[in-house]
Amino acid sequence: MIKKVGVVGVGTMGQGIAEMLAKNSLDVYMLEISDDRLKHALNMIEMSLDKQIEKWAITSSEKKLILSRIHPISKMEELTVCELIIESITEDLEQKKEIFKQLDQVTSADTIIASNTSSLSLTEIASATRSPERVIGMHFTYPVSSIDMVEIVRGLKTSEETVEVTKQFTEEAIQKKAVMVFESPGYVTTRLICLFINEALHVLEEGVATAEDIDNAMRVGYSFKLGPFQMADQFGLDSVQAALENMFREYGELKYRPSIVLKKMVRAGHLGVKAGVGFFKYDEDGDRVE
Amino acid sequence: MKVLVINAGSSSLKYQLFDMKNESVLASGRVERIGMDSSIVTHEPVGKEEVVEVKEILDHITAVSRVIDMLIHAEHGVVKSMAEIDAVGHRIVHGGEIFKNSVIVTDAVKSEIRRLFELAPLHNPAHMMGIVAVEMNLPNVPQVVVFDTAFHQTMPKTSYLYAIPKSLYKRHKVRRYGFHGTSHAYVSDVAAKVLDKELASLKMITCHIGNGGSLTAILDGQSFDTSMGMTPLEGLMMGTRSGDLDPAIVPFVMNKEELTLNEVNSMLNKHSGLLAVSGLSSDMREITDAMDDNEEAKLAFDMYVYRVKKYIGSYAAAMNGLDVMVFTAGVGENSVVLRKAVCEGLTFLGIELDEELNAKRSKEPRVISTPNSRVKVMVVPTNEELLIARDTYNLVK
Repeated sequence: MIKKVGVVGVGTMGQGIAEMLAKNSLDVYMLEISDDRLKHALNMIEMSLDKQIEKWAITSSEKKLILSRIHPISKMEELTVCELIIESITEDLEQKKEIFKQLDQVTSADTIIASNTSSLSLTEIASATRSPERVIGMHFTYPVSSIDMVEIVRGLKTSEETVEVTKQFTEEAIQKKAVMVFESPGYVTTRLICLFINEALHVLEEGVATAEDIDNAMRVGYSFKLGPFQMADQFGLDSVQAALENMFREYGELKYRPSIVLKKMVRAGHLGVKAGVGFFKYDEDGDRVE
Repeated sequence: MKVLVINAGSSSLKYQLFDMKNESVLASGRVERIGMDSSIVTHEPVGKEEVVEVKEILDHITAVSRVIDMLIHAEHGVVKSMAEIDAVGHRIVHGGEIFKNSVIVTDAVKSEIRRLFELAPLHNPAHMMGIVAVEMNLPNVPQVVVFDTAFHQTMPKTSYLYAIPKSLYKRHKVRRYGFHGTSHAYVSDVAAKVLDKELASLKMITCHIGNGGSLTAILDGQSFDTSMGMTPLEGLMMGTRSGDLDPAIVPFVMNKEELTLNEVNSMLNKHSGLLAVSGLSSDMREITDAMDDNEEAKLAFDMYVYRVKKYIGSYAAAMNGLDVMVFTAGVGENSVVLRKAVCEGLTFLGIELDEELNAKRSKEPRVISTPNSRVKVMVVPTNEELLIARDTYNLVK
């Protein structure tokens, strides 16, 4: 049974994953490349928990308990106690391969090593290890705490046992719906949602409707929680562009080519919520202001 | 016959070993933080020193095995071998409509308890882990399950149905179940014995007031109505639970504050009640200690008492009279101030509190009303474990 989980790389996604794991009574070991980043991640998790207290989702003693389960660490060797390690560093193939190579060396053969990659090739990441059968994809969706779905991605050499244990962990220990996918650029979620956003951008470019109205049409008309533009702002426009470019490269189909407007906005630094401005404007808490 | 009583939570397990010859407790204790590195076992053998042990206990099976080790330990133990444990009784929060009495555990009983997981998602799965853990450790020992809801299964439809579409009751068993049944049953029985009256001849209200609280109207010796509903959220204001409120508030607040189902559930169960109104604490002792110079604490106390009084009035009306009123559980047994405040202004019902008797501290069941009081007001310390041990003994012997 998986009781201890390592999280390597605690940016926005890593923080969300660590917090969600600790909330589900698991012991979490967080690894980052510097103490500063580790401290920052802990602060962000604490802030997120404080926000939840304000919203009555948890109590202050629950917050204490959750934080007591999160252990910041500075050496990869300290991950040897974990039965599962989830990598969530930046979406860069070479960096990921290097991390997996190291993880493969320090952990025992029955530790599962998962990547939170949204579009990179699992098989290629696994090729950096001597034991690709224990490498798997666990693609979480932002915000991790409230989206109860994980794409479980099999690489070419991922073993059935690794798939089974990961699926069981996802559905029982962290109570999220496991969607099983075979390796393919963008899997299911990234592929569909990025195309949706890209098509919305074309509609905007053609002057058919304003961003606000396009969002409203999909939100109110089709019960999307967020419209395509607010969604893109949340993901980060640079991430959307990177995912589209990757799929464009892999599939070679024009429909994946990122829209010109998207590229322009990324160049201007209008990256969405994290920059305070994207298609809409946001305050420091990430709440939309206009 | 020796009976082990177990109350299994998701990460804790409480236990008491009874010798049913004289209903005495041989040992009690608890295992906390199950599933973590440093689980804590606290074992209190009667007449010997308490033992505290910290070690890794990853599941309920290991927890029960540790409990047995403690009970048969050469130094801290109270019995010589496992074979001396003749039966095990479990507390189960939810018995649905199926279980009207305690029963011996069989495969069929287990699958019924599993089927009730959705009505008590926090409690029943943990109880089930306790049952399985005992099975693994004591394979041939009979087990009995005692349900918190069973006592209230005598309620008439007028009490247990909600005025909402019938299909919800048919499809999802949405109805009032009531809780703390073992406690209400135990204290009403003791109260009748102390008064030397037949329970069935008395119109009684039992007030189980602890961190959670519920009132039960007992007519003809049976639960006629109780303040908790389909879940333990309904009824009285509690430490952190709201109790009764206009159900339209829920969707209104969810919409205005953009809350999810989990958030609104947590708000009503963990962020409301005494804690919310006082802004100070969910603990009645802290509220009563502070209320002389803290207006909000005073308001919280007054609201709390007012709710209890409203229920007493309505149950007296429902039964067309009242003979006995019983206070029990943490607050009910210990808060002199609360009992006084609840009884004040109920003279029209025939309640007259004897302030001296009320102020006296004791662990015995006792009457605290004046000899002239038409309604006997009593304090009866609850003992759910003993009732579970008795039911277990009676079914197994």
